[in-house]
Amino acid sequence: MWKTTSILIGAVLILISLGIVMLGSTSLVQAQMNFHDPLFFVKRQIMWLLVGVLISLFLSRVDYEVFGRPAVAWFLYAFSVALLAAVLGWGVTVNGSTRWLGLGPLRMQPSEFAKFGVVVFLAWWLANMRRRVMRFWEGIAVPLGALGLVAGLVFLEPDFGTSMVIGAVGFAVVFAAGARIGNLLLAGTLGLTFFSVAVMRNAERMRRIIAFMNPQKYARNEAFQLLNAIYAFVIGGATGVGLGQSLQKRYYLPEAHTDFIFAIIGEELGVAGSLLVLTLFAAIFVCGIRISRRAPTHFGYLLGFGMTLTITLQALVNIGVVTGCLPTKGLPLPFISFGGSNLVVCMAMVGILVSIARAAGEQDGRPPEARAIRDRVHRI
Amino acid sequence: MNDLRYRWRMRFLSAAVIAALAGLSVRLVFLHLGPNEALRRKIVKTRRVERRLRGGRGRIFDRRGEIMALDVAVKNVCADPKLLHESGSLQAVALRLARLLEMEPAVLLARLDLPRRRFAYVKRHVPPEVGEMIRRMKLQGVFFQDDVARYYPHDQLMCHVVGFVNMERVGSAGVEQKLDRYLKGTPGLLVSERDGRRRELYDRRTVEVPASAGADVYLTLDVELQYMVEKALDEAVSENAAKGAWAIVERVRTGEILAMASRPAFNPNEFRKSDPESMRNRAIAYVYEPGSTFKLAVIAAALNEGLVTADEVIDCENGVWMYRGRPLRDYHAHGRLSVADVLKKSSNIGAAKIALRLGPERLDRYLRAFGFGRRTGVGLPGEQAGILHPPRAWSALSITRIAMGHEVAVTALQMLEMACAIANGGYLMRPYVVRRVVDWRGRELMAAEPRVVARPIREATADLMRRLMVRVTEPGGTGWRAALAGYRVAGKTGTAQKPVRGGYSRTADVASFVGFLPAEDPELGIIVVVDEPQPRHTGGAVAAPVFRKIAEQAVRYLDIRSPGGRGGGLETDT
Repeated sequence: MWKTTSILIGAVLILISLGIVMLGSTSLVQAQMNFHDPLFFVKRQIMWLLVGVLISLFLSRVDYEVFGRPAVAWFLYAFSVALLAAVLGWGVTVNGSTRWLGLGPLRMQPSEFAKFGVVVFLAWWLANMRRRVMRFWEGIAVPLGALGLVAGLVFLEPDFGTSMVIGAVGFAVVFAAGARIGNLLLAGTLGLTFFSVAVMRNAERMRRIIAFMNPQKYARNEAFQLLNAIYAFVIGGATGVGLGQSLQKRYYLPEAHTDFIFAIIGEELGVAGSLLVLTLFAAIFVCGIRISRRAPTHFGYLLGFGMTLTITLQALVNIGVVTGCLPTKGLPLPFISFGGSNLVVCMAMVGILVSIARAAGEQDGRPPEARAIRDRVHRI
Repeated sequence: MNDLRYRWRMRFLSAAVIAALAGLSVRLVFLHLGPNEALRRKIVKTRRVERRLRGGRGRIFDRRGEIMALDVAVKNVCADPKLLHESGSLQAVALRLARLLEMEPAVLLARLDLPRRRFAYVKRHVPPEVGEMIRRMKLQGVFFQDDVARYYPHDQLMCHVVGFVNMERVGSAGVEQKLDRYLKGTPGLLVSERDGRRRELYDRRTVEVPASAGADVYLTLDVELQYMVEKALDEAVSENAAKGAWAIVERVRTGEILAMASRPAFNPNEFRKSDPESMRNRAIAYVYEPGSTFKLAVIAAALNEGLVTADEVIDCENGVWMYRGRPLRDYHAHGRLSVADVLKKSSNIGAAKIALRLGPERLDRYLRAFGFGRRTGVGLPGEQAGILHPPRAWSALSITRIAMGHEVAVTALQMLEMACAIANGGYLMRPYVVRRVVDWRGRELMAAEPRVVARPIREATADLMRRLMVRVTEPGGTGWRAALAGYRVAGKTGTAQKPVRGGYSRTADVASFVGFLPAEDPELGIIVVVDEPQPRHTGGAVAAPVFRKIAEQAVRYLDIRSPGGRGGGLETDT
């Protein structure tokens, strides 16, 4: 287990280091222009990074089972919903989306916290229900209802990408916990239909999707970002143009330091850089799954799976968007994109995975009868 | 404790995620390493900036170093019509700018009332002081461009020779046009890249060759002398209610043009508002029938051939001579005149008889040797060659008409060159207006040398002609008004009726006087032409006084003394 944990932590550390370097590369000019301080974004990110390190160190040393207590799980869920409701009421609006809560000079993104809250709540609920997940109410209605509420609130901000990630992760956790496939299919179809109708009612989202289908036709407007992200990889080629030498970050990609930072990595560092990032996320996923599978409890298993999937799915969707495989939506690349809330939440999740791994490792040292049970588990 | 029956579900999901990661890696490899050369070239090309940098244009100086044309830094006042429109300040801003820039408010308002546009010129080429005043007003949506404008400090003075540049800074008249390739300099090159907002990125310049400034041009003209000539012309035009007037002052020995002026004139700083007719340099571009001044060439040719002597007496038929059934008349009737007096009294009949002795072929040869019928090559755009038909195209009467300066057409410069050839011992010089061209490093790119074009007559003939021409300005000669106290002046008057449909006008004349001084050792050749003077119309009455006025000031200014101690300079108060 020690090896798996080391690889996980190593991968995260490399991504964070690369993230700070690339944030410097992409944001200096814009920061100087907008804030007269070239390190404006870098300083903030490092501050959030310290917060994230403290939280993840703390969580890795605390028994993850704390989150399995009903009061904690309920509290996290209720707090998430309350924060999301507060955003809809008093949030800060940027570019037409209300996603932030202002706390003095700082801003936090409740939808990031909700990712965490929902996964904890679902893991607790489903682990608690055990075999009763086969039933409709306990296995489908309550968990998917709770999930739908959060995803729906995020959708209203509107934050299409995050809402989809929360929905998909929650659905996967319910599926992995053993809910009836027939019910799940029914609920899934219903959810997707609802989702599609909501998307189609929104003219801007619809335009983005149409632009995604015909990028050349909308090259000057909707698909400008999309095409320029793809161009970044093409320009980068095998070797990349060199660190700091990107041309795409000079207003060809307006979100170069946040959602589209992966394109700049591809442009500046070439195929090696972008495949390295992809490989590191694959490593995080494999390690996360290994840890979850060896979790001493069913709750730990679902919790670890949910958190691993949250990180990986965000990375998948982000890279999918940037490489032109998915329509444009605002979603950060974990550990790399500028944005404090996402960084802190992702690091907290890594902390919990480490905590689960520690518990799994301790179990390895337990008396034989305990290990026998685990071995039998493996054989089946 | 894990629920073992559903382990496959997690494996299934993991496999899906791993498959997605693999798919993305394939996509990435394809984007990075795929066959995208064409796309890569296209992207690079759309981002490339290639700009030619304009060099400063060279200056134009007169012969003493006075600046006639130079580049000055100016501002272009620009505006953002969309912003003005949205902020609702369009009316107020347009009104304030119009008042400051002396523009019509309605015109400016119309130019700025484009709610969707982000750029419009308010006014181009505004002096920097005015630009600074506008800047201090701190108007939202008004901004500036740095630009360079051509400025002519002397306005109208010497306008036809100096010329002007158009809005694209290409020389479009005068020396500005003819020497454009020297003046314009070598453009530089800038190769760089642009950002997503289409602005050039200073830190990504790969090629930056600065433009080199154009070369300076030094004219042979003298701005002081030019001023005197132009003033004399202005007075001549107003005194005689003339349609126009032009004059040239040339250094006899070298062919350097010291002054060349034409009326009407224009201000090159405002060439766009000027009448195109006023832009014609009539001294080289106006072709007219010269009249009696042309007799100089005919008599010089006959003398040079030894067909007549100065003292030979010619029957001038008391004013009317029937030749081939057509009457030829003199302005004043004369009986018998010596060849010298034919010139002095300007007898048409006498000149015709002399020309007949030469015959068409010989006359034609001499006229062409004097430079008629072709451009002088003075080095200015728009020069005309005049009209001199070949002898085979002449009618039987032509030779008698040509002798008195009809059926031929010339430019004032051609006439002056002929007179200067007589003054210069028979050597016809090439006239020129540009002395030298010097680049910004001080290297001389071009230096004009005096050049002999032809030698139509012998020295002895030229000497004799000079003596005959002096008699024209003596009492009893047609050009007595050109006489100058303390100097001997050689010259010839000319009065030609302007050709109109089917004949000659009775009211419209071209009056001219061409001559040089001091006659004993000529320094300056001067021609004055006045177009349609009223009511006086003869060269002697109209052009000769202008000649005298110019000559008087020129000899003082240039300190030209009369040989043999006959006064000269400032001491001519006897």
